[in-house]
Amino acid sequence: MTRHGLRRGLRVFWWLTLVFLYLPLAVVVLYSFNASNSAAHFTGVSLRWYYRLMGNEALLSALGNSLLLAVVSSLIALLLGTLIGYGMFHHRWRRLGWLVVLIYLPLVLPDIVFGIAEMAFFVQVERLTGWLSPGLGTMIIAHVSFQIPFVALIVYSRLVGLDPSLFEAAKDLYASPWQRACHFLVPTLRPALISGVFLSFTLSLDDFVISFFTSGPESATLPIYIWGAIRKGVSPEINAIATLMIAAVALVAVASLLLGRQRAGRG
Amino acid sequence: MSETSTASAPPRQDLTNRAPAAARSAAAINLEGLHKRFGPDSVALDGVDLTIHEGEFFTLLGPSGCGKTTLLRILAGLESPDAGRLTLGGRDITQVPAHRRSVNTVFQSYALFPHLSVRDNLAFGLRMQGVSKAERDARVADIARFIQLGGLIERRVDQLSGGQRQRIALARALVCEPNVLLLDEPLSALDAGLRGQLQVELKRVQARLGMTFLFVTHDQQEAMVMSDRIAVLNGGSIQQVGSPKDIYERPANAFVARFMGHDNLFPILDRDGVRLNTALGALTVEASEAELSETSGEGSLLLIRPETIDLLPPDQAGTNCLPARVTDCLYRGSQAEYRLDVGDAELQAMVNNRGWQLPSVGDRVCVSVAAEDLVTLAGEAGT
Repeated sequence: MTRHGLRRGLRVFWWLTLVFLYLPLAVVVLYSFNASNSAAHFTGVSLRWYYRLMGNEALLSALGNSLLLAVVSSLIALLLGTLIGYGMFHHRWRRLGWLVVLIYLPLVLPDIVFGIAEMAFFVQVERLTGWLSPGLGTMIIAHVSFQIPFVALIVYSRLVGLDPSLFEAAKDLYASPWQRACHFLVPTLRPALISGVFLSFTLSLDDFVISFFTSGPESATLPIYIWGAIRKGVSPEINAIATLMIAAVALVAVASLLLGRQRAGRG
Repeated sequence: MSETSTASAPPRQDLTNRAPAAARSAAAINLEGLHKRFGPDSVALDGVDLTIHEGEFFTLLGPSGCGKTTLLRILAGLESPDAGRLTLGGRDITQVPAHRRSVNTVFQSYALFPHLSVRDNLAFGLRMQGVSKAERDARVADIARFIQLGGLIERRVDQLSGGQRQRIALARALVCEPNVLLLDEPLSALDAGLRGQLQVELKRVQARLGMTFLFVTHDQQEAMVMSDRIAVLNGGSIQQVGSPKDIYERPANAFVARFMGHDNLFPILDRDGVRLNTALGALTVEASEAELSETSGEGSLLLIRPETIDLLPPDQAGTNCLPARVTDCLYRGSQAEYRLDVGDAELQAMVNNRGWQLPSVGDRVCVSVAAEDLVTLAGEAGT
């Protein structure tokens, strides 16, 4: 094949990939503006499904739950994951490989196994102590536990990538342990902390399986609500929710891109 | 940094007047019996005793793994010794953590904080000590003028070249006005030209501040150019402490001689008074009987520095005149480097080019060396 031909072939492949990725999303977006409730025929443009959403109390409460869960769990995971990441870094010369594997295991464990395990555990705890009945509390615990490894990994790799004499320079320049944490570690880790909290937030919003097994009657999140609604048939309302979520994700992606570019500009 | 820095105003009274040359007798640092090992087979320091005087430019010289960096890190408080005592200005600091020692370090990698501007890097140490903003700004401005940082202070760390980072790292340590400044091979990452320039500059900064500098290097030329005194280390123990002249001209043992670049070392076969028999032939040395009996036993060596050798016409006779044949000659412009067959051995000689006729390969010459230029060295342990 000529070089020109190869390049054209790659370009075609690139466009095919984009179509494959984004065409289904385009269909959802298009049908969210459908005037009729048919999932097969597009009859005209209307915002009626969006208006319908505004009045849907169950949906709004699910959205609220999702956001609350994502914010609280990712902040807790940020704190704990950073501590674990730092601990792993600080003691990296000890033979702790097995401990690290234990921390990363949940990353590769199927969600459904993790979800069932969490549920079984919470049921036992509730039976024995009366605490941890299914609800937002149990969901936060479950989410934090799968977010922690991601944060720890990001923080750890940032620390490993730093010049080791930076830590010594901070000591040498009279910084006490607390001052080192505030004036050296946190500012140096800031990019890692930001990506850690963003990733945790997205993972939490996105999660269905683990939320499903640990939620209570009052604590349905958006994915759980959608799943419930779809069992009664695909309503165009679902398309409207999906479109809003796509818009939100795109916005966050653009925002983080701009933030990153600004940071790169400043160094 | 340039010639003009000597003309710029000194930064602060207390910084520049801290140690007049007359007060140098005071011990800035005292080390007693320092031991450090990093595991059962790795001895970094094997009983080091050392006194470094106030206001001195002192260099720890040795090959990699000799313990020089460990010694520096123990002084900085970044490692703790397994045994021994360490005093700074008379105060025992063996147990004092790094952030409470009035000691600052210029790191080999410079270790400038990437999240801070150059200005904030310079002010970091003062800020951690709780120095007020106004005083910080004034002191940073002073040091920037003193080290001639000029516009660099407004830059970001990632916009600096290696030489610029080196100067920022130096300024960041100096602005804290430590009792002792530690420098961990600070010039090793720079190219030769810049390195020579910064050697001169560092020496000048030290002389003007009268601050005690403890410098670590593996480069004997660098050590000789910069230091008031040098300690040569090997295998975690000190081999010799002395002025550059002492160390170069009167090395204490074969290790020091070899490390200082001397190759003309010949085993002493036997001795008759001040007359030593070597593979080159018999040579007369100028030394006391006591000195000789110590350094001419089993395995001891005779050192002939190449630059002390004169090449004379072949028919000369006299003390320490040995017949030789030129086997190799490298013309270096200002000097010519010779290899000669003398007796049963090969000798190197360095001859200054004064425009006279230089002997060429194959010529028969007479090698002449003054008795007082010969140095006898005790045998190396284990050889």
